[in-house]
Amino acid sequence: MANLKLDRVGKTYAGGVSAVENASFEIADGEFIVLVGPSGCGKSTMLRMIAGLEEITDGDVQIGDRSVNGVEPGDRNIAMVFQNYALYPHMTVRGNMAYGLRNQGMPKPEVEARIAEAARFLQLEPYLDRKPSALSGGQRQRVAMGRAIVREPSVFLFDEPLSNLDAKLRTQLRAELKDLHKRLGATFIYVTHDQIEAMSLADRIVIMSAGRIEQIGTPMELYANPASTFVAEFIGAPPMNVLPVTGEAARAFLAQEARVPDDLGHVGIRPELMSIGDNGIPATITLVEPLGAETLVHLKMGADKLIMRSGHGLALDAGAEIKVAVEAGALRFFDRDGRTRSA
Amino acid sequence: MVENRPLAAILTHVVLIAGIVFLCFPVWVALVASTHPGEALQRSPIPMWFGDQGFANYSQLLREGVPAAGGVPLSTMMLNSLFMALGITVGKIAISLISAFAIVYFRFPFRMLFFWLIFATLMLPVEVRILPTYDVVASLGMLNSYPGLIIPLIASATATFLFRQFFMTIPDELVEAARIDRAGPLRFFWDILLPLSRTNIAALFIILFIYGWNQYLWPFLITTDQDLYTVVMGIQRMVNVGEGVPIWNYTMGTAILAMIPPVLVVLVMQRLFVKGLVESEK
Amino acid sequence: MQKRVVFRNRWLPYLLVAPQIAVTLIFFIWPAYQALETSFFVEDVFGFSRNFVWFENFTRLFADKGYLRSFWTTLVFGLSVTFLSMSMALALAVAANRVLKAATAYRTFLIWPYAVAPALAGVLWYFMMNPSLGILAYMLEGTFGVDWNHYVNGNQALLLVIIAAAWKQISYNFLFFLAGLQSIPKSLIEAAAIDGASPTRRFWTIVFPLLSPTTFFLLVVNLVYAFFDTFAIIHATTNGGPADATSILVYKVYSTGFVGQDYGSSAAQSVILMVLVIAMTVVQFRFIERKVQY
Repeated sequence: MANLKLDRVGKTYAGGVSAVENASFEIADGEFIVLVGPSGCGKSTMLRMIAGLEEITDGDVQIGDRSVNGVEPGDRNIAMVFQNYALYPHMTVRGNMAYGLRNQGMPKPEVEARIAEAARFLQLEPYLDRKPSALSGGQRQRVAMGRAIVREPSVFLFDEPLSNLDAKLRTQLRAELKDLHKRLGATFIYVTHDQIEAMSLADRIVIMSAGRIEQIGTPMELYANPASTFVAEFIGAPPMNVLPVTGEAARAFLAQEARVPDDLGHVGIRPELMSIGDNGIPATITLVEPLGAETLVHLKMGADKLIMRSGHGLALDAGAEIKVAVEAGALRFFDRDGRTRSA
Repeated sequence: MVENRPLAAILTHVVLIAGIVFLCFPVWVALVASTHPGEALQRSPIPMWFGDQGFANYSQLLREGVPAAGGVPLSTMMLNSLFMALGITVGKIAISLISAFAIVYFRFPFRMLFFWLIFATLMLPVEVRILPTYDVVASLGMLNSYPGLIIPLIASATATFLFRQFFMTIPDELVEAARIDRAGPLRFFWDILLPLSRTNIAALFIILFIYGWNQYLWPFLITTDQDLYTVVMGIQRMVNVGEGVPIWNYTMGTAILAMIPPVLVVLVMQRLFVKGLVESEK
Repeated sequence: MQKRVVFRNRWLPYLLVAPQIAVTLIFFIWPAYQALETSFFVEDVFGFSRNFVWFENFTRLFADKGYLRSFWTTLVFGLSVTFLSMSMALALAVAANRVLKAATAYRTFLIWPYAVAPALAGVLWYFMMNPSLGILAYMLEGTFGVDWNHYVNGNQALLLVIIAAAWKQISYNFLFFLAGLQSIPKSLIEAAAIDGASPTRRFWTIVFPLLSPTTFFLLVVNLVYAFFDTFAIIHATTNGGPADATSILVYKVYSTGFVGQDYGSSAAQSVILMVLVIAMTVVQFRFIERKVQY
């Protein structure tokens, strides 16, 4: 087990393209960190730099207080689970798990013992002598995790491990992963583009955009107080409504607020912090999406469009005119560059 | 096909059978001729059904060869052909595997130069550089030797490109997983790349074995020692016997013996052969 | 072209390419360079000295009627072999593609000649066409009254080597045509049938155009085969004769150099052939490159 520290880490490719810039954060021992962001934001590059699969061009990566720049991936005491599993197709499940240990020169009885333990842990015992091609997607993913577990690494790295699975299996494995983290107590670093995965798994989320870290915090911190419009619109489904201050909707919201910071660019409000009231801001319903437990109501305020989350059993249809009430303290303020401003 | 017309179906089979007859007839004639005594093949029309000298002819060929053409036993020639074919095949596969590995999995100065050098071999068949290549082999003292028969032919752009193509389809994550599992380049090559290339190696083996076995000009140029004759080039001595008339029963017997190994390989390993042929041309 | 992840090692990659590069340099590049150099020299009769003569070897070649005729022979030979073997192979492939169940069985009987050495193919046909006892020569005389004698008739000798060369190449073309045909979606043919196109019309308007990449590829491969790989057929049978009637360019390089001992001229011929192969390889690869981009 180990803590991990990234100090002003950057990656610039030979052509001058910058994938990651000036990224600094620390990860405590045993923490579950999720790197999240849209594709191309540099999250995978960051993970691969931690793994040593990608050379870093600036800064310093430390694992357990030891700088690992230039240390081979095999010598960093890490394990990695890949999106496409990357199981060795010609080896059995047992062979896949044993390969790294054998390369370390571990004696055979110990290798066998570790595999047996991991197999029991992951319920892979019946499949040990099968080839990966004879396994289902979920089973392959478990084998990939088994291969990581037997190494008993100080840090586990996950590169979108659930992306190749169908929605149902993904939900199930997500829960298993969280359970696994609890039982192993090891440091997990997990990359995904799926904000739901990030929210449900992470102790802390590192959200990235265009090679830069946008915000680091617990899932609820990010949800409640996004540091930028980017974070506001990335986290949450449906996302926060972000309205330009020049629009009618923003002006109507701001008119109800006592203290408003100056130099505003945008105003944000979460869909669930609005409700239909007797008085409030007039709006027209353009679309109603009943999802069972809740209903998404698409609204139009002047030229602005926004989404409101409502309980089940809403008896209104598109075209209805309503009044929208806002909870106190629900508004979030952003400047013209999209950064948060506090009142 | 879309319609079901009996006439078209019959025509289809007629075309196919005609094609098969056209392809098989020469071999049939040769096979029949090789079972007759020499005298039966001295006036037209020659017999179209088997004679009774088959066993005698083939055992004469294998044990003593054709005296008028040097009298090298066919068994010797076929063994030479086998050594040459296997040498060329194994050599080509081995050096192509490792050079494709280097080109795909390393980044190093002159990588592209090496790539184009290997590519250039495609454009320089033996036939167009006969004399100077002969001179090189002669000056290296490799005339009349197995290395001389084999080594100059083992460079292979085709095999290198095939392996390169195949390596490119292997997911990057497999290398990354191997690196995390502490496998260095050679261990990765041996433990992972080589086992994964098995089918490709086998398919290529067939194509290259045929290529090696069927070499003609090269062994003809560099062997003057009869003990090193290969069977495909040896037959030429039986056809061109100077003023004499070729001893056709023996010549055809030799042709049959010379084609048996490669044809057998194709027929027995048909699926691999087709795969190898189609893929090595991509 | 390359992997995202590569191994780092200073000397290993060089060690790995070394055998291939060594063989290439020693037995390919160096001889090719030698041919190029020699093509600019004329050696005296005894081989004691040689003189730099610029392009004299080349100008002499192109003034030589025999060499120009060899060009012509090569062209006739190459085109005939290509056309014969490709058209027969296409007919067989179309037929084999129609008989779904028996296709594999037929295929077995059609592909084996690929494994027969060109030299042996030559010898087989040489025997069948032998003027005094060849079974085909006998039938030609009996049925059509053709007096077949490739020992004296140059055209007949050329025809003989054309047939032998085409015979051997049919299997190869057949396999590629069959693969090409099998990759044409059945729904296209069915759509054309619904549009009322007759089977013949369907072939020429749908199948044949879709097959054109295969056809073009085979065209180049067959020409290369006919120009270079058929040396053995000619050497083992007609020896370029009678009277140079079957002396194609590759045979000429050999006979000028080894038999005629005219090294300068042979080298110049090598250089011309190299230019030819390079041109054909470039055409082939440009084409493949384009195909990849689709």
